[in-house]
Amino acid sequence: MKKLILGTALAIVFGAGPVMAEQLTVITAGDQNMVDYVNNYLGPMFEKENPGTTVRAVGTGPGDAGSQKIIERLEAQKQANKDKWDVDVAVVHEKAAGDLVKDGLLKKYRADIATGKFVTRENADMALGTDVKGYVMPMFNSQTAIAYNPALVKNPPQSYDELVKWVKANPKQFGYNGIKGGMSGVAFVVGWMYAYGGDAKTLENGPYKKGESADWSKALAALKTFNQNVTMTPGNAGTLDMLARGEIAMGPVWVDMFYTWQANGQIPPDLKLVLPAPGMPGQPMHYVIPAKAEHPKLAEKFIALATSPEVQANGIVKKFNWYPGIDATKVEAKLDPKTWNKLFTDIKPKELAEYGKPFPIKPYFDGILEAYEKQVAN
Amino acid sequence: MRRHLPGLLLVAPALAIILFLFVVPLVGAFVGAFQTNAGFGFGNFVKTYQLYSRDIVFTILIVALSAILTAAFSVAIGGYLTLGSNRLAIVLLRWLYRWPLFIPFIVVGQILRTFLAKNGLMNNIFVASGVVSPLHTFGMLDWRGVVIAFVWKQVPFVTLLLAGAMASLDRGTIEAARNLGASRLRILIEIVLPQAAPTLMVGLTLSIVTMMSVLSVPLMIASQSPTVITVDMAFRINAYGDYGVANALGLISLVLTGTVAWFYLRQTMREAAR
Repeated sequence: MKKLILGTALAIVFGAGPVMAEQLTVITAGDQNMVDYVNNYLGPMFEKENPGTTVRAVGTGPGDAGSQKIIERLEAQKQANKDKWDVDVAVVHEKAAGDLVKDGLLKKYRADIATGKFVTRENADMALGTDVKGYVMPMFNSQTAIAYNPALVKNPPQSYDELVKWVKANPKQFGYNGIKGGMSGVAFVVGWMYAYGGDAKTLENGPYKKGESADWSKALAALKTFNQNVTMTPGNAGTLDMLARGEIAMGPVWVDMFYTWQANGQIPPDLKLVLPAPGMPGQPMHYVIPAKAEHPKLAEKFIALATSPEVQANGIVKKFNWYPGIDATKVEAKLDPKTWNKLFTDIKPKELAEYGKPFPIKPYFDGILEAYEKQVAN
Repeated sequence: MRRHLPGLLLVAPALAIILFLFVVPLVGAFVGAFQTNAGFGFGNFVKTYQLYSRDIVFTILIVALSAILTAAFSVAIGGYLTLGSNRLAIVLLRWLYRWPLFIPFIVVGQILRTFLAKNGLMNNIFVASGVVSPLHTFGMLDWRGVVIAFVWKQVPFVTLLLAGAMASLDRGTIEAARNLGASRLRILIEIVLPQAAPTLMVGLTLSIVTMMSVLSVPLMIASQSPTVITVDMAFRINAYGDYGVANALGLISLVLTGTVAWFYLRQTMREAAR
């Protein structure tokens, strides 16, 4: 019923308007900066290269909820048996990419575009346990890491083990936002489980075995003890705020957020990042083309431009401090060393390759969060 | 029947709105709390207990403490407005105390988030004025921050009701006590407060219901563990899409507020019977 209403509403909104032959509709999950990126940067560039076309960007909101709206929108048009769907290019989170492929809502296009061969990372083939190879092109990769104040922390911990020791020696100087205040805290907990919760490879790739959670009790008990010497921060931004005010000396953050805040002067320039072993998770966002996009050829052209080394260099890396979606060496060649090095000042490409992990597959991910609530928080 | 028809028709739209926008969702949430993947049962409540028992106790303590503090401040302010002798102080107080009424909870949360932090504005002022040394400052971005926000926001509301009730008391009783030499504190506690108590109870009951439903303040100030029920409900839906346990949590807060409302109703019924 809900889908029927949605479908009808969409049909009224989009069926009634005049259909312009060459309007490319890009729908994107994520914050406003994603919409701005398409409207102010990619769109004009694409319109210039393809005279007569216009690019229209629509945002659906941050987080998995934003991606969920995209799934529902495509699903509704599929249910309504429409020949042409009103979305040409969608930008979605990892979790949604898997769901979209499973529901048969996407077109397999990676092999058809020139930049397809630049994709090197595993997370462009597997999205939280679902095979998405060929269906997605990564827009960028984001990563979590531990930010620290070098004035207070002379030798930053290189592993979770060292961090545990450091926290014991320096109570309340490490802060994170639990699991209910944003993804940087969630990422820290996931990293903890990779370090102490048994087989990290199974958590990352599956297959899912029910009852795995029994092995987590020791890791979570240790985390509960660890938490007693930790300062709890109010949210992703809360951790950065407390670092900026000198209330904590260390805490997990999103790398792109860290660099952007640093560039804006919201946190002191001397703060640094470290990615401890065995690693912390990050996630990509993907460009996808709906199975029945109205302008599939144009969409492919658009994504080819967006994932070209030039755009990845100047847009993704330089403007937004994200890690590139495609092969980093191809992007490096297009940037001056200073800009490139800024991205890798603290975390070297080798560390990133070694310690940059994906999030666990969905059933384990939900299981870890719930086990945390049960054992650590309650 | 025909005689009643116009009246019924007039009421119908309002009734329909209440039915559709309030009763139906409430019943839906109620039923949803008992719906699990395995059919109807208490699964959601078992999970709620396993995961959130501590948060439920925490919520009760936070709200109870906030209500007690709110009552204390409201009585103090209302009492001074009624019995105070310094005209200027009364005018100033009357003008000042209502300000927080016009500030939304989310803004209170945002202000206190930077004000109460360890190296926040409050502590910086204390340190700069030499009251405390930098080593002895501590942040209050936990349960204390939530209580401060709740009290700060609810005192004006309760005071508004209470001061009104106190002002409309028969001045004769106050004057009589004063003539007999009672101190102002004694007049407040023995003469004014007992007469204004029902209004105080109304204010506190409404405040408790309000505090039980605030999500923004705990989210801004203390969303880590332990936290209040509203944060858990939001997390349940946003992280897992699990409406069952969220509904169960909602039902529990409904029972908590319902208990308060029941005490209040019993009290007023007794007064009415007298």
